[in-house]
Amino acid sequence: MIKIENLHASVDGKAILKGINLEINAGEVHAIMGPNGSGKSTLSNIIAGRDGYTVTKGSITYKGKDLLALSPEERSWEGVFLAFQYPVEIPGVNNTYLLKAGVNAKRKHQGLQELDAMDFLKIVREKAKLVELDQSFLSRGVNEGFSGGEKKRNEIFQMAVLEPTLALLDETDSGLDIDALRIVANGVNHLRSEERAVVMVTHYQRLLDYIKPDFVHVLADGKILKSGGKELALELEERGYDWVREEAAA
Amino acid sequence: MSLTLKTIRDTAARAFETQGLPTTRDEDWKYTDLSRISTLLGDQWWQVTEKNEGVIADLSIPELDAYTLLFVNGHFDAEASELPESITISTLASMIQDEPEKAVELIAYQADAPLSSGVVAANSALATDGACICVPDHVKLDRPLYILHVNSGGTSHLRTGISMGKHSEIKVIEHFAGDHNESGLTNSVTAIRLNENSSCEHYRLQMEAAKQCHLGRVEISQKRDSSYTLHATELGSMLSRVDVVNRLQEPGACTELNGLFVASGRQHIDHHTRIDHSAPHCVSRENYRAVLDGRSHGVFNGKIVVGKGAIKTDSAQTNANLLLSPNAEIDTKPELEIFNDDVKCAHGVTVGQLDKNQLFYLKTRGISDEEAKQMLTFAFADEILAKMNNQSVRRYIERAAFAKLPNTTDLEGMLA
Repeated sequence: MIKIENLHASVDGKAILKGINLEINAGEVHAIMGPNGSGKSTLSNIIAGRDGYTVTKGSITYKGKDLLALSPEERSWEGVFLAFQYPVEIPGVNNTYLLKAGVNAKRKHQGLQELDAMDFLKIVREKAKLVELDQSFLSRGVNEGFSGGEKKRNEIFQMAVLEPTLALLDETDSGLDIDALRIVANGVNHLRSEERAVVMVTHYQRLLDYIKPDFVHVLADGKILKSGGKELALELEERGYDWVREEAAA
Repeated sequence: MSLTLKTIRDTAARAFETQGLPTTRDEDWKYTDLSRISTLLGDQWWQVTEKNEGVIADLSIPELDAYTLLFVNGHFDAEASELPESITISTLASMIQDEPEKAVELIAYQADAPLSSGVVAANSALATDGACICVPDHVKLDRPLYILHVNSGGTSHLRTGISMGKHSEIKVIEHFAGDHNESGLTNSVTAIRLNENSSCEHYRLQMEAAKQCHLGRVEISQKRDSSYTLHATELGSMLSRVDVVNRLQEPGACTELNGLFVASGRQHIDHHTRIDHSAPHCVSRENYRAVLDGRSHGVFNGKIVVGKGAIKTDSAQTNANLLLSPNAEIDTKPELEIFNDDVKCAHGVTVGQLDKNQLFYLKTRGISDEEAKQMLTFAFADEILAKMNNQSVRRYIERAAFAKLPNTTDLEGMLA
């Protein structure tokens, strides 16, 4: 589904990613782990299309297309979704309105008829239940006055409504208590399917107890130093990251 | 010597002859050049236009459940108006004719009032009509009072007075509208006096026609525990200048000024506000926002004076501005004068473009760049309109504001 080849990227002239190679297929769940400042968030931001990053070398191919040539909204229409590490508050833009506009823009792009208000509301109500999000949140401004946990749940709720094919979860677990983590993980597991790939960027192994990954990658110093199955996450939890670095250097 | 209508008129006329219109050399008028008015209108701006000149379209707010006072080219139209019975309403024109001694108070001219100028002097000298509203003690008007000023170009000098009895309550909507292609001038002064524990929610909607100039003044004085809210929206006219002067005279008075400018083309919009905290334990809140496109120019000057003895004053002022075009300009100046300890005063100004993080967030949800910008612009403006309690007015202004924003498409969805 997505193939990242020898990706180099910098911010303000400082090299952050130094040759990432990663291939993700439909139906797979990948976890990208690594210490702070390793480039994890940079990678998810570049895939989603945020300004401010310069790709100096390499490519990202998504469903056979040059992903880097697409605008963020085009990527969304093609099925890319980023659950933000720090979801922004947008007072005055209604949560449901945003999603309806997003869903219909995507449908238009796909040559499908736009959903009417009633059909849309049905979908929204159903998905809100999935992440145990109170109905009152639907009519509020996007993330306006939401607690940290509510914001993360809202991200997963939006993901459920937009039904992406490639879902990137950028530290979705950080700052969540156990109950919220369970709800969020539940929402993500519900979305797992043969057509969909999920990439979780995380700092902690804890999330992987709830969402079992097929592959775990260690990202450090701008490179993927090691890849393995879910047992790698446990090993990282126990031993930290230094041994991976040493092993890579050897 | 008691004042007569004639002595007031004469004093004001002399004051105007001496001062003339303010010029940009005057600090309070630094950014607003009124010479355009005399260039456009010549001597005509002294001459009040007849009522029926020009064709008047129906410009009233749809679905507004209210008592209505219609003024056409500055003249009261009794037939088209519906007055409430529980309060007393007369007009300046009828007072001048039948009981001039009563007109004295309404037309009063005070040369040394804050932000006084030749414009106010001209108004006192020339005002021909306007509503004089008295709300008796303990009366709460059951529906809003809608004062619609429609003009077809030409000149009107209006004087409106609202006197609120103790524990009384009113919602007033002043709406200045026009749909014509003539040059013109509206010069409107509204004085509101709030007695003990009275409350007034005041909407002032400036939606004049494109070539009309609009000069306005709102004077408010507040007694103990009274509460006043202004929703001032500036959408129309080529040049609009409004002065808001608010005196909090007794403890416990509360005031809230909300302002929104949405300007495009070469529109020029200027609000000077002044709040005098003259007594302890008064609260003032001021929130002004501007969305400026094209070559439009906005001016905001918000002065807050905390007088001696006004302890426990609680005052907060914000002014946020969104420039949609590189040629749009805002001049903003908060001014605080505090003569006293033990007060809480906050103020903040921002000038900027749309938030990049918010834009990116919307785009990752599939919203196109253009639509995302519209959403954020509208949301920025709507935060001020959301403070309106009357939903018919709010919706009406939202639609009018949205229609002015560039490349607007789906409004109804945003409002849902």
